[in-house]
Amino acid sequence: MLTVFNLQWLRLIREPVLVFTFFGLTIGFVFFLAGSQGSSTITIQTFSDTLSEQEVAVWLERLNESDTYTFNYNEREEVENELRMSQISFALNLEADNYSFLVGQDSHFIAAANQHIMQTFQSYLRINEVNAQLTDETVSIEHYVQSDVKTLSTNVSEHDEMGLHVVAGMTLYFVIYTILFNLSNIVLEKKTGTWDRLIISPLKKTQIYIGQLAHHFMLGMLQIIISFVLFHFMLGYNFGTQLLTIVAVVMAYVFSIVALGMLVMGLVRSSQQLQAAIPIVATAMAMLGGAFWPLEIVTNNILLFLARLVPIRYGLEALIRTIVYNDSLLDVIQPVSILLLMGVIFMGLGINLMEKIK
Amino acid sequence: MFEVEELRKKFKTTTAVDGVNLYLEKGESVGLLGPNGAGKSTTISMMSTLLSPTDGDVRYNGKSILKQPEIIRPVLGMVPQEIALYEELTALENMKFFGRVYGLSGKKLDNKVAEVLELVGLEDRKKDKIKNYSGGMKRRINIAVALLHEPEVLIMDEPTVGIDPQSRSYILEMVKNLNREKGMTVLYTSHYMEEVEKLCDRIYIMDHGQVIASGTKSELKSILSSEETVLVELQQKQVGFADQLSELDVVQKVIEVEQGFKIIATKADQLLADIFDVAKREQVQIIGIHVQTPTLEDVFLHLTGRKLRD
Repeated sequence: MLTVFNLQWLRLIREPVLVFTFFGLTIGFVFFLAGSQGSSTITIQTFSDTLSEQEVAVWLERLNESDTYTFNYNEREEVENELRMSQISFALNLEADNYSFLVGQDSHFIAAANQHIMQTFQSYLRINEVNAQLTDETVSIEHYVQSDVKTLSTNVSEHDEMGLHVVAGMTLYFVIYTILFNLSNIVLEKKTGTWDRLIISPLKKTQIYIGQLAHHFMLGMLQIIISFVLFHFMLGYNFGTQLLTIVAVVMAYVFSIVALGMLVMGLVRSSQQLQAAIPIVATAMAMLGGAFWPLEIVTNNILLFLARLVPIRYGLEALIRTIVYNDSLLDVIQPVSILLLMGVIFMGLGINLMEKIK
Repeated sequence: MFEVEELRKKFKTTTAVDGVNLYLEKGESVGLLGPNGAGKSTTISMMSTLLSPTDGDVRYNGKSILKQPEIIRPVLGMVPQEIALYEELTALENMKFFGRVYGLSGKKLDNKVAEVLELVGLEDRKKDKIKNYSGGMKRRINIAVALLHEPEVLIMDEPTVGIDPQSRSYILEMVKNLNREKGMTVLYTSHYMEEVEKLCDRIYIMDHGQVIASGTKSELKSILSSEETVLVELQQKQVGFADQLSELDVVQKVIEVEQGFKIIATKADQLLADIFDVAKREQVQIIGIHVQTPTLEDVFLHLTGRKLRD
C-alpha cells in the first residue's frame, strides 16, 4: 500500500502543473471575489422630509449598528444633486415608521440594503407594539431575543461572513477539480497497462486501491488546509477557534469527493469522457450546493431538493457553522454524517462499476 | 508445470476463447501463434489471473490458480503488449517501484535493478524519463520490469510490436538466453512467424479462439509433407485464372498474394504443366513460378485459409 501511495507522490512531484493550477485558481478567485472587497462598507445617503433631526439621528444610530452599511445624513437637495450627477445610485428616505428609496440607477446593493433596513424597522416596530400592549409590565426583551439565537463568533463580523462564504465555497469547489483530475490517473493507468501490472503482482487489490485513494485524500486535505492558512495570513480571514472541527469537516468532505470521483470514473468509458465530465460535475455541484451564492437566496424547490444531493452543500454548511458560529463537531454531526454516508455509497458504487468495466 | 484446460471466455456477444487446452513444461519455450483477434491475449490474460474465464481451469504445479492466484503471482513475469510504465518517471524509478511491489528492497533491490538494466542494455540511460526513450528502448524496459523478481514463468504478449529490426533482434536474443541459460519457462505470443520459429521449442496455433494445431516446428511442417506450395507470379492478375486453378483436382487452396497467386496442392507430377495450361487458356502471362518448402506461414495458411497478418 505504502509503495503505491509513495509512487503517486513521486508522480505528482514530476508533473505538478495541474495541482498547482487549481491551487492557484483557488487563491486567485478568493482574492478577487472576497479579498479585493477588503473591509469596505457600503455608504447610503439618507434624508427625511418628515422626521426631525433628532428622530433621524436615532434611526441612523439603529441602522448603523451593522458593519456592512454606513448611513449618512444629507439634505434632500444635496442627495438629488448627487443622484443627477450619478455620484450615487440610490438614497434612503426615512419616514415615520416607514421608508422609501430614491433611485437614480439600478444597483444590486438596493435589495441587500432593503433587507437590512426592513429588518431594523420590523424589529423596532415589534418592540413598540409589545410595549404598547404591556404598558404596566417591564419585560426583559433582551432575554427573549437572546435565547436560542446563534451568535457570531467574537472575531467574525457580518461582512466577514460573506467573505468566508466565498473563501469556503471557492476552496471546496476547486478541490473537486484537483481530486477528480488526479483520480483520472487511475483511468490512465488502466489504459497504459500499469494497473494490470499491479493487479497480477503479489499486491492485493485493496492495497492498490487504498494506496491510490489515500494519496488523493491527502492531496485534497492539503489543498484546503494550505488555502485556509494562506487566506488567514494573507487576507486576514479569521477561521474561529474550532480548528479541529474544521479539520474533521474537511476530512469528511474530501472523503466524499474522492468517493464521488470513483463513482464518476465508474460511469465513464474513456479518459476523454472523464475529462468532459469533471468540469460539468464540479461546476453543477458547486452551483447547486451554494458555493457561488448562498442557498438562502434560492427559492426554487427543485433546485433546493437537488442541493440536498450534493456533498458541497453539507461541506459548506458545516464549515460556515464551525467558522462563523463556533459550532463544535457535535453541533455539525448531521452534515458531517451525511458526507460520510455519501462517501460510503459513492465509493461502493464506484469501485463496483470500475471493476465491472473490465 | 503450467496447464490450461478447456479454457473459455465469453464476452457479451462473442466467444474470444473457445475451449483452449495447452501446457508448458519447466524450462520450455512455447510459442502462441495467431492473427490479431485469434484470442491469444485473452488466453494469456486468463493464464496470468488478470481475467476470469467463463469456464475451464488453469493449473500451476497441479494447483488451480483461478482459485488461488497467490500461487502464480510471485513467480510470474508478464510482459504486456502495451508499454505499461509510468512515462513521467525515469527507468530507474519505474524499476525500483515494480521491484518493491515484488517485495525487493535495500541492497538486493539496487543490485537486481543494476543487473537487469545491464541485461537490457540501458544502464547508461537509466536516469532518463521513459517518455524520452525510443520505441525499442521502451520495449526493453517493459521487459526488464518483468524480470526483476526472477520469475519462473515469463509470459510475453507480442513484445516486439512496432519496433526497429535492431531492437527486435536484441530482444529475441535476450529472451533466448533467459530461456537457455537461466532455465526460465517462456510463453511467447506473436503474429511474427519468424520470431516464434527462432525462439520456441513447441508452438500452438490459434484462430477464432481455438487451438487449431500444435507441436514442434517439424511436426507442424509435416502437416504439409504431402503437399507443396507454388507461387505463381503474373504480369496481370485475373480472377478467372484463380477460379480455373481451384477446379484442378490436386489444388487445395488458391490464395491471392501481391505478385499473383499462391497455390497449395497435393504433390503431383502434372501440377506445373496444368498451371501453364490454365494460363494459356485464360491468356494470362506468367512471369515467374516458385516451388516453395513449407513454412509455418504456409501451415497457417493451409489451416485457416488466411495469412497471419490479415
